[in-house]
Amino acid sequence: MFDVHSRASRIGLQILATLMVLPFLFPLLAAIQGSLGGLGIGNYAKVFNTGIVATVFTNSLIISAFTIGIVYAVTMLAAFGFAKLRLFGREVWFWVLLAALTVPEAVLLTPLFVVASTFDLYNELAAVILPLAAMQVPFTVLIARSFFDGIPTELMEAAKVDGASILRVFWSIILPLTRPITATIVVLTLINSWNAYLLPMLMLNDQSKQVVTLLPSFFVSQYTNDQTGVLAAAVITAIPEILVYLALQKYFERGLAAGALK
Amino acid sequence: MSTASLQEAPGRSVVNAGRPGKRRSNRVGSRLAGLPWILPAVLLVVGLIYFPIGFTGYASTLDWNGFILSTPKEVGTANYAKMLGDDVFWQALWHTAYFYVITFSVQTVIGFAIAAVMHSKIRFGAVYKAIVFIPTVLAPATMAPVFRQIFDQYGQFNWLLSHIGLDSLTRPWLADPGTAMPVVMFITVWQWTGLTFILYYAAMAQVDTEVLEAARVDGASSLRVLRSIVWPMCRGTTAALAVLGLIGALKTFDIPYLVTKGGPNHGTEFLGTYIYQTMVQQKHFGYAAAIAIALLVLAVAGGSIMSVRNRRAGRDQ
Repeated sequence: MFDVHSRASRIGLQILATLMVLPFLFPLLAAIQGSLGGLGIGNYAKVFNTGIVATVFTNSLIISAFTIGIVYAVTMLAAFGFAKLRLFGREVWFWVLLAALTVPEAVLLTPLFVVASTFDLYNELAAVILPLAAMQVPFTVLIARSFFDGIPTELMEAAKVDGASILRVFWSIILPLTRPITATIVVLTLINSWNAYLLPMLMLNDQSKQVVTLLPSFFVSQYTNDQTGVLAAAVITAIPEILVYLALQKYFERGLAAGALK
Repeated sequence: MSTASLQEAPGRSVVNAGRPGKRRSNRVGSRLAGLPWILPAVLLVVGLIYFPIGFTGYASTLDWNGFILSTPKEVGTANYAKMLGDDVFWQALWHTAYFYVITFSVQTVIGFAIAAVMHSKIRFGAVYKAIVFIPTVLAPATMAPVFRQIFDQYGQFNWLLSHIGLDSLTRPWLADPGTAMPVVMFITVWQWTGLTFILYYAAMAQVDTEVLEAARVDGASSLRVLRSIVWPMCRGTTAALAVLGLIGALKTFDIPYLVTKGGPNHGTEFLGTYIYQTMVQQKHFGYAAAIAIALLVLAVAGGSIMSVRNRRAGRDQ
């Protein structure tokens, strides 16, 4: 965008870029620096010695995996139904899903809490998985439907002439074409379920059921104001996220930016 | 909310296939062939979003402590009347409003500027891009304690200030309502500018380089090109971000809850934190439900109005 010719302006632009980017790096460095205060590496040992690190990571993995699975299955079926099959009152059904797009989590807290405690879902991972999936589905159906709309219906008709059932058309012809949108759905749902805080905090009190986002606060309650422990816990939960992002950078960025490419 | 209304938001449409309705003629099957396919999604959303909303609506007419065994008292619209006279509720609304305007503007300016710089000839561009985007993938809950530490009386921010000769500015940033809110906004901007940046970066990749070259040949400066050509061409992205930012502002919970608990003295109270506090700490389920319904109305109305306006603006172009 900036047209640079001279050496001086090139260096100037490089300095400008660096100055803009550094503030994004500082908090990450501050986290590491803070986590090494006092006992140094010992703070990390302290976090691992609590014995709950493996537990919270396992629980977060289970929650994310099930949320992604549910969201993916439900979204693909619905998008196919909306885009490719006849459906009486299609736009009404679609609107029912879309209207839920902007519903804030906080609106659902009272009833979810009451229902979960009534049916003894309290401290069950399902009490987090199902609401997370439900909140994700309106958005993923919206993007998946417009993707499915772009797949030529002629492909399906040719297969139908050859005698394939709708189920078979969906499974063997349509699904293999949906890889780009699959990556988007998986990445979005992964970020939202892995980073979820409010629902797990409310629903999962039992220590054996807690998730990664609750790990830092564990140190606030356990050892009053153990800042170094809190920060070491924060770094431990951040590192896997950063590594996964770096490994799948293309999918993360494409997933989140897909809508801007017109 | 309609299909077209949110088309431009991030991740919304990978293939832009025109209006869905146009393909009706060659859709397959009998009149209700699609129903079994959409049913799981509809049931999930109705069961876990619509049903809870209905329940919240009902609970908002009660005086209830949330225990199933305790008998709630019907109070009609008393909770809503209480809400309209509640200073904290209005404060939370006011905070949401200026939080939205400021964070959205700052993110737009910084995100757009970084995207423009990154599209120029820059070394380490890939590294810089990753650094700006990493906060977006981190959980607010993970970073909240880090920012508590940074803006603590003895934190890195005050250390930095005193080392560049600004001793007089050092203070416990989170202890004063006047500075706690800017910190909450700073954290939000830090976290979400990466998304703004990535969206502008993608939008700028679509700008025709020949147009830019032509403008330069005519003697336009880089800043002029950015302002008069690139910025207008990114209008769709800006509009989508404006809607996302509004919904995000209304949903704000994690950062103020974890960094300041909505305080000091409700100085960083948002609707989400106020609902949570009213419900979980004070056990006023009915009142919390009434505020939740107000939040819902604002979110749905705000989202719809902005989408409709964007769609109109899009048509006029």
